[in-house]
Amino acid sequence: MSTEGTTRSGTGGPGSLDDLELLVDADSHVTESLDDILPYMDDRHRGIREMIELSDMPMSDVFSITAPTPIFAYNNQSDDVEVFGGEAGPAGKLEMMDEHGIDYSVINPTLTAVLNTVNNTRVAVALARAYNGYMLDNFVDADERLKVTVMVPPQKPSIAAEEIDRHAGERDVVGVFVPTAGLVPPPGHEMYDPIYEAAEDHDLPVVFHSNTGAVHRAFPVVHNWTESYALEHALMHPFTHMWYLASMVFEGVPVKFPDLDFVFSEAGIGYVPYTLWRLDDHYLEMPHDVPALEQLPSEYVREQFHFSTQPLGHTARNGANIARMIEMIGPELVMYAADMPHPDFDLPGELFDRIRGGLDGETTAGVMGDTAAEVFGI
Amino acid sequence: MTRHHVAGTDAFESDGDRVNVDVRGREVTVFRYDGDYHALLNYCVHQGGPLCEGSLTGRNTLGDDGWEWVYEDDRKYVNCPWHGWRFDVTTGVSPDDERYAVPTFDVAVEDGEVYVEL
Repeated sequence: MSTEGTTRSGTGGPGSLDDLELLVDADSHVTESLDDILPYMDDRHRGIREMIELSDMPMSDVFSITAPTPIFAYNNQSDDVEVFGGEAGPAGKLEMMDEHGIDYSVINPTLTAVLNTVNNTRVAVALARAYNGYMLDNFVDADERLKVTVMVPPQKPSIAAEEIDRHAGERDVVGVFVPTAGLVPPPGHEMYDPIYEAAEDHDLPVVFHSNTGAVHRAFPVVHNWTESYALEHALMHPFTHMWYLASMVFEGVPVKFPDLDFVFSEAGIGYVPYTLWRLDDHYLEMPHDVPALEQLPSEYVREQFHFSTQPLGHTARNGANIARMIEMIGPELVMYAADMPHPDFDLPGELFDRIRGGLDGETTAGVMGDTAAEVFGI
Repeated sequence: MTRHHVAGTDAFESDGDRVNVDVRGREVTVFRYDGDYHALLNYCVHQGGPLCEGSLTGRNTLGDDGWEWVYEDDRKYVNCPWHGWRFDVTTGVSPDDERYAVPTFDVAVEDGEVYVEL
């Protein structure tokens, strides 16, 4: 975790964070609770709201979140940082951003990000709409520096598309959030085309973001033998992205939607070069299975995909490796993300200090903010 | 450029038939496709495998609806037996990435005999 001296209020001088004109957190989070979003559930869904309110165990009765051990059970070192609930409003978010010199944040959900664990499609739809209502009321138009994504219920792509249409015109709506934790079938399936069509129509990038607590939906057998939250958390973010990136590219989603941008968040970037190399050689060695593609998978990725950096992992031993990693992926595809306030966040210096010696100034500025501003239209 | 004898046309009874010859240390394979003859170096540019000993197939393409898989051009592509990289026997070019291609040679047919030129 970074400390003083790496923030923009630090020592300054050439090559410091102070020199950056723009710093964007491409994957920030609101820490919404059910209590926060239920009041925003449409009156037409009052029956669903009351049903949820009657439950003593909504995390298993409404969502079906299962974790091998409690989520971040030991992470109680601060009263100020809470995973669920806590400082959910724009004031708390802006305070954190100011403390670390972040100009803009793209805010994604926390609890609602495991929407795929909601078995009942009508309930999932009502929750997604309630979340969007909550964000609309609390974050949209609250401050120009706060940007949000529209949450869509993948269980019902037609309504997901309506949600995109409904919110896309708002000033601070900059993307579409597809909860990817436990997304079944995977996102290359044609059932999701209405989501991609709507996003493309509105020129909004589609953000893919996994989560723990929902792993059992997509990886049920291994989840049964996962004995700790740490193990599940370590593997399931990158596993999900690798699986879903492959699904989307091999099924030709970028071919069908050539003007759409895709963002993969919160699995770090180490998995990206390996995955792309692997997809490229499978394209060349098993071409009969991927007739939708006319060029290497990595070339589609280079044209339409972006990856946010958090969590970088324990890179202190040789920070230059991160710069090499970014070069391997293509620096224009990589965007800094903090993930605040989740307890595995990367402050700006965590990335900046490690790449400034290995990438030129313009490339570094791109990774730290310029690329995210372009992708999200900030 | 020298002309080298490969075989009589009777060695190529139908499309998909092929004859492999050694031309001063270079292995060259002549394929018959759509009634014409095409010569490729028996060397895969991927990892050096014996490309021309691989299977001959068509390829899946997307149908007009953008979804259906439609098989076309049967026996136009030779698939390397090592890793499955494939090349168009009429051009030597990979249909999957045109930056990859194997050397091709001109073929001549005279008096029922097939020759390659290299």
